[in-house]
Amino acid sequence: MIQPRDLFTQSIQLSPALLMALLVIPVVGGLIGVLLPAFGYIPALDKTTFTLSGFYSLFNTAGFGTMLLLSAVSSLVSTLLAFTITVLILACYFNSPWLYRIQRLLGPILVIPHAAAAIAISFLITPSGMMSRLFSPWLTQWQSPADWLLPHDPWAISMILGLTLKELPFLLLMALGALAQADLGEKLRAQHKVAMSLGYCPMTAFFKVVLPNLYPFLRLPILAVLAYASASVEIPLILGPNAPPTLAVAIMQWFNDVDLTLRIQASAGAIMQLLLTMTLLLSWWLLEKLIKRFSYNSLINGRREYAGQLIMRFTQLLTVILLTVIMLSLIGLILWSFAGYWRFPDALPSQFVLLHWQHALQHMQTPLLNTITIGFIATFVAVILTLSTLEAEQLRARNLSNFASLLIYLPMLIPSIAFLFGLVWLQEQVGSHHAYFNVIFGHLLFVLPYVFLSLASSYRRLDPRFSYLAASLGVTPSKVFLRVKLPQLLAPILIAFALGLAVSFSQYLPTLLSGGGRINTITTEAVALAGGASRRVSAVYALMQMLLPAMAFLLAWFIPKLVFTKQNAAHYVSTSSTKTTP
Amino acid sequence: MQSSLNIKQLTICRESTPLLSINECITGGEVLSIMGPSGSGKSTLLNWLTGMLPHGFSAKGSLFLNEQNITQLASHQRHVGLLYQDPLLFPHLNVADNIAFAMPKGNKKQRIEKINDSLKQLGLEGMAARHPQSLSGGQQARVALLRVLLSEPKAILLDEPFSKLDATLREDTRELVFAQIRQHQLPALMVTHDISDAHAAAGKIITLSADEQETRC
Amino acid sequence: MTSSNYLLLQARRMQFYALLFSVMLSLVFSSNSTAKQWQSVLDNGQNHNVYFHAWGGDPQINSYIQWLAQQVKRQYNIDLHHIKLTDTSEAVSRVLAERSAGNHSDGKIDLIWINGANFAAMAKHGLLTPDWANQLPNFALTNPSHNPAVSLDFGVPTQGMESPWGQAALTFYYDSAAMTAPPKTINQLLSWSAQHQGRFTYPRPPDFIGVSFLKYALISLTPKAQQSLLYQPVSKQSAALLLPNLWQFLDALHPNLWRSGQYFVSSSTALRRLVGDTELSLALTFSASEVPAAVARFDLPTSIRSYAMSDGSLSNIHFVAIPYNAANADSAKLVANFMLSVNAQAKKQHPEIWGDNTVLDLATLHPEQAAQFQLSNPHPSSLAPNHHSPALAEPHPSWVKVIEQQWLTRYGAQ
Repeated sequence: MIQPRDLFTQSIQLSPALLMALLVIPVVGGLIGVLLPAFGYIPALDKTTFTLSGFYSLFNTAGFGTMLLLSAVSSLVSTLLAFTITVLILACYFNSPWLYRIQRLLGPILVIPHAAAAIAISFLITPSGMMSRLFSPWLTQWQSPADWLLPHDPWAISMILGLTLKELPFLLLMALGALAQADLGEKLRAQHKVAMSLGYCPMTAFFKVVLPNLYPFLRLPILAVLAYASASVEIPLILGPNAPPTLAVAIMQWFNDVDLTLRIQASAGAIMQLLLTMTLLLSWWLLEKLIKRFSYNSLINGRREYAGQLIMRFTQLLTVILLTVIMLSLIGLILWSFAGYWRFPDALPSQFVLLHWQHALQHMQTPLLNTITIGFIATFVAVILTLSTLEAEQLRARNLSNFASLLIYLPMLIPSIAFLFGLVWLQEQVGSHHAYFNVIFGHLLFVLPYVFLSLASSYRRLDPRFSYLAASLGVTPSKVFLRVKLPQLLAPILIAFALGLAVSFSQYLPTLLSGGGRINTITTEAVALAGGASRRVSAVYALMQMLLPAMAFLLAWFIPKLVFTKQNAAHYVSTSSTKTTP
Repeated sequence: MQSSLNIKQLTICRESTPLLSINECITGGEVLSIMGPSGSGKSTLLNWLTGMLPHGFSAKGSLFLNEQNITQLASHQRHVGLLYQDPLLFPHLNVADNIAFAMPKGNKKQRIEKINDSLKQLGLEGMAARHPQSLSGGQQARVALLRVLLSEPKAILLDEPFSKLDATLREDTRELVFAQIRQHQLPALMVTHDISDAHAAAGKIITLSADEQETRC
Repeated sequence: MTSSNYLLLQARRMQFYALLFSVMLSLVFSSNSTAKQWQSVLDNGQNHNVYFHAWGGDPQINSYIQWLAQQVKRQYNIDLHHIKLTDTSEAVSRVLAERSAGNHSDGKIDLIWINGANFAAMAKHGLLTPDWANQLPNFALTNPSHNPAVSLDFGVPTQGMESPWGQAALTFYYDSAAMTAPPKTINQLLSWSAQHQGRFTYPRPPDFIGVSFLKYALISLTPKAQQSLLYQPVSKQSAALLLPNLWQFLDALHPNLWRSGQYFVSSSTALRRLVGDTELSLALTFSASEVPAAVARFDLPTSIRSYAMSDGSLSNIHFVAIPYNAANADSAKLVANFMLSVNAQAKKQHPEIWGDNTVLDLATLHPEQAAQFQLSNPHPSSLAPNHHSPALAEPHPSWVKVIEQQWLTRYGAQ
């Protein structure tokens, strides 16, 4: 292909490299920034020799083994559960309109920030929460809350529940997204039909025919979920045990400890976290290989039925329970945000007041403004970079290499706690003192992969003949990009924008660390308040956290409709006017 | 006993408008061809026959396979094989395993022998371990045919089965398919656009019209 | 006005004039240069930003800081930004990180709310600006020569590195709908907890309230004769002598606690929520006024009552400090000085605002000024003003680390 040599083309050509650099340099730099102190090198504490003391004190920390085990088990179990339930729901409702109803019900959960989801779940399952209020005292005889271990139970059940509920919609939507790709979805549905015409019951047909071909599209999302779960901070902080906590939470506490020498141990912990996450990803991969290997024979053994009905009923029950849990969590949250006095075991508050919303809204202006400004700038940059990288792909007529595609997901696969502390150090090193800029930059790292993920498939599916046609009419590449491609992509761009905003709105650690705690957003406030004194104020903030991304998606859904109705209306006006003219 | 597929007094409606009516009995080895423009209800008929009538359609009438009423049976319990225009081979299984997938449960060794024998019969010797994607279009069509036949169906439905094959391949494959249907004495129903397919089938031809009928369901 | 009040006012007025006189004398004779220095602080400090890193877990305190921001904006055109911390140690790490990056003059933290172990750590590493707090004009209102507590932070001399802001005492509160008589001493607490299984807990160290509870228990469990050891730097011998009492007490207490002592909340604010949920019936706080305020905001039931332990209340002073590399040190000094003003201190002590006790010596104030600190109509859930509870001074900060470490080893990982 002969490349045009105009300014647009040349600058577009640079964008893939820029995008890679923006993602790779901070992550790698951040890792170096924790690697040095992990081996005892902190000039600020006059420690300039390399030692292993950080690792020794790490291994001697009381409960270190339990921390590792907690992180490993909770992330593996929750990912397995989320994956299993995703597959069961897909299998059970593969040919049913309920699949899309469930998608519509679970979809909004995806954009609920982890902190808000954790707060909602903790409101549901605490001994004084919605669940026990609904059953007390008529069933349980409790006049005061039971002394249960939920949440924060040492077996991490609450935490696993929280992680599972948050991961499930993500995996389900990723699967449905893959199925929505015209070629793949149609093919898999047709093959599912073939298997049924060959006598396979729908469940078995799904597991033997659809799943093996769908799984490759789920692998990366699953690994991202696993990596995230193994090192997340918000959910373990709000739902997890703390004697001891998960490794990631412990690392954060050490980094923030008064005793500054603990930073060496914290950095060593960050390295351990990295190893742990990598080990978990590797184990998933091995597990996958093992299952593939040992289940192959049963794929072709001709067996048509494996208690399909029973599994179907179980899945239906599970779905109902899941939806009930989610609904009750939300109802509980809304009730708390308007509650006056609400003594246990009353199922409803004794009065409803607007005080908490009024009070919170008065104090929310700055965080709200920060949240929106940072979100918009980070997402705007991410969308521009993504679009120009995808355009560069089309100009070069080849997609990014597999390696480059993998690099884009780097910030999703490497635990953020492992490199963010180093990133802050790096930002200090290059003299970047502008907190706002640092936070936006930190957010960009996490927004970019999601925006790219969301836009890439639509952009690559764009029919190239439109641009060939335009080029043959003598239109410059920049005009093709702006006038032909972008308008066609309005809806996916807005969805990607909304997704980017949602990701940015939910960031906790990057905001806290890159901003040096100077920049408050709704999410940092919500997490700070989650452990705090007022359930009511906490509920207001959690609901705000949910409302913001919901509004973004609502706009993304509404704007294209508005634009198209306008165009239609304009069209109608013009045709009707031509009709009336003689 | 002569095998048969009997469509009794079938009327399919979209919303409340009648789409098509059929009353036919197909005996073993016979191919009934259904022709008609798009929108005439050909694929809706197939969907009803497989028990997958989509939402928004309703049907009156019944379906008997070998004297047994299967109108209310779920699609996977009907023993009605399907052959599409696309071969739709499973990409995660090789040629032999695609066929094994379709065969009833049984002794592993016997199954393998049977697969190899039938591959040989259709001139696909040595292809057992190949991946479907590496086969030519005609070879894929033959594997798909084998897959349906070895699943031991009691009837077979053909959904524009040859429309994606080029002219020479089309005739060969067509002959092969019809020969196999006769050999297995299966009642078959074929939906097609192409009159030459229908003539080659050498059975009764029904042409559906796109016009909506006046009566209401 | 009753006659006794009148006499009191007269006496205060006399003291005030005496102080005024001495201040004038000192201005005239000794510290002409001090005044000049302050003038330069005034000149340089106006019209800048001040980033105030302060724990942000209490909406009442946050509102008060917003009020401070409005005031310094009006007086000095200073934009005071409250950076809400969940733990003050976050700010300590921040300053350290800046130093390690070689940022010695453009630090992001201008002012920090601090005391105790955080102060000791920062002072030890030289992360604070020295010798400024005692130069603040309003510092004299604390009457430092007669009130040495304002220059000691947990027994460690502040050396002008921090300016006092307020003082607090450990206060307990309970749900009167769940019990009639709350425990009044550390030993009663143990027997009470056995009768009320799972209705009390304390935050896990290093939470401030959690450590304070442990210190209160340690002081109360230590025989009077040995208590002086607690006010000296800890040694292996003194720890081995005194701490076993505490562990023995906790070993007995923990099975009776909320979640059977298997889980401890991470922050003291969670205690209040759990009392609000009626999961706990008894809890403790350092800001007594948060209790009636929380009742007014529906966060605590109306049946809550506050009291002080009869075997003593741990009390301490909290301060504000300026990191050595603060970008706007002079502006921060102006803010700190305003925090010590009569207006700001009186407002802060008001129960509906914050209820934090003033560090000013009321005896040295003008009677009208002192009258600003008078209370009216306390809420039934607030601490009775005439409660009798001896003040227990904070042990030497070196004890904190030992208590924390041993606690975490014994109970931190189960």
